[in-house]
Amino acid sequence: MRIKLAVPAVAVVLGAVLLLTSAQVLAHHAFAAEFDVNKPLTLKGSLLKWDMVNPHSWFHITVKEKDGKTTTWLVEGGSPNQLIRMGVTKNTVPIGTELVVEGYQAKDGTNKAVGRNFVLADGKRLFLGGSAGGVSDPAKVK
Amino acid sequence: MRHRTLVYACAVSIVIAIAMAATSSVAGQSAPLEKPRAVAKTVTVAKAYAPPKTPDGQPDLQGFWTNSTYVPLERPQGVTKEYYTPEEAEVAIKRAADREAEQTEPGTTADVHYDFSQFGLDRSQSTFAKTLRTSLIYDPPDGKIPQMTQEGQKRVAERAALRKAAGGQYDDVKNMPIGSRCIMMGGAGPPLQNAGYNANYQIVQGAGYVMILTEMIHDARIIPIDGRPAPPSGVRQWTGVSRGRWEGNTLVVETTNFNGKNPFRNGSENMKVTERFTRVADDAIEYKFTVDDPSTWSKAWSAELPLVKTDGPIFEFACHESNHGIANILAGAREDDKKAAAQRKPSSN
Repeated sequence: MRIKLAVPAVAVVLGAVLLLTSAQVLAHHAFAAEFDVNKPLTLKGSLLKWDMVNPHSWFHITVKEKDGKTTTWLVEGGSPNQLIRMGVTKNTVPIGTELVVEGYQAKDGTNKAVGRNFVLADGKRLFLGGSAGGVSDPAKVK
Repeated sequence: MRHRTLVYACAVSIVIAIAMAATSSVAGQSAPLEKPRAVAKTVTVAKAYAPPKTPDGQPDLQGFWTNSTYVPLERPQGVTKEYYTPEEAEVAIKRAADREAEQTEPGTTADVHYDFSQFGLDRSQSTFAKTLRTSLIYDPPDGKIPQMTQEGQKRVAERAALRKAAGGQYDDVKNMPIGSRCIMMGGAGPPLQNAGYNANYQIVQGAGYVMILTEMIHDARIIPIDGRPAPPSGVRQWTGVSRGRWEGNTLVVETTNFNGKNPFRNGSENMKVTERFTRVADDAIEYKFTVDDPSTWSKAWSAELPLVKTDGPIFEFACHESNHGIANILAGAREDDKKAAAQRKPSSN
């Protein structure tokens, strides 16, 4: 069963975003072989690095645990090529940007996940709508 | 002689609709979503388009092109005609684009994936070709791949048995699909296929050669057009061996000598692919291909997949270097092995 996204993405509030995830149609590989559908998670942290690489990009995110310690998570996203065509660069999402990532943890239990939704602290979804439309302050990009 | 009307539509810019009196086809370009949707305008062009020429006199196909499209290879169930009306085509595109952006249900296998639209990878966020065709296949007229021969069915069954004998698809690197292994993906062909995302190509021509660079995994097919024969049948390659020639303004490329490890639509290594590239507008190449493989299909079949101009450059793909997914999948498979082994252990009670 599928749920259709019925509202403009940039207007979606965080709570609603977490209920809705977008479909994949074509994939480079089977993500369900890499990540565990039974290990959904939500990571709140800050961007440490974004590897804009193929076949899939990787976000390095520093997550602060309840005990005050920090851990680094690697979160898999999509190929960056089309984003680059849209004008997105490594500087589009500045280091330190607070992110909420909803996804699924790696099957081997390590600190890796697939990023089902990347949401900024203000509730806007990252990139959705094309050309970095979800970035909080467009003046900061590029 | 055929009369063509080019309809330029799109977001700020451009949708090319090549609507021919008898064989209508429409090529198009979408625009970034934040820009206003465009109003279509119709431009009539000369019925005999004269393509620009390279310095050595070849019709010039050079530039950056995409074959991204929402038109399926085979005609959808319930559709009986070859062409939609322009209005019906828009509805079909919208339906397909909406489906592409549909949401999966959390907690399902389909949901274990990044969001295509978040990375601009759904087709409506990039340049894509529109066509009035209901299917890319135009021959046979029913828009379907012809029936598979018994020999072809037997081969498919044998391949499936070999895969099963090799173990789980994710148990071992060699069992994984070649796209996952960054060897090659479908877009490179031949025949060129819509890769789904990053469906971009660059064509470069030099004296005696045409080169087609595919963005996805960065395959470069170098096609001699100097009349040399194909090599002996023992020479086998992933993308076969291509030889080209000009027939008027059409580049005809015949490809044989496939290695059989990347079967197109379950074809055999004996498949012959004939491609025809004709520049029909500054912004469009008519691309047709015919697949002939009597050991797989009861007859040859043909399809048309427009190439429309897009922005360059082609970005490096460098797939192998950062293909961390392979290691992660194997780590997941070993984790599954541990769980299975634990379940097999007799209970201590």
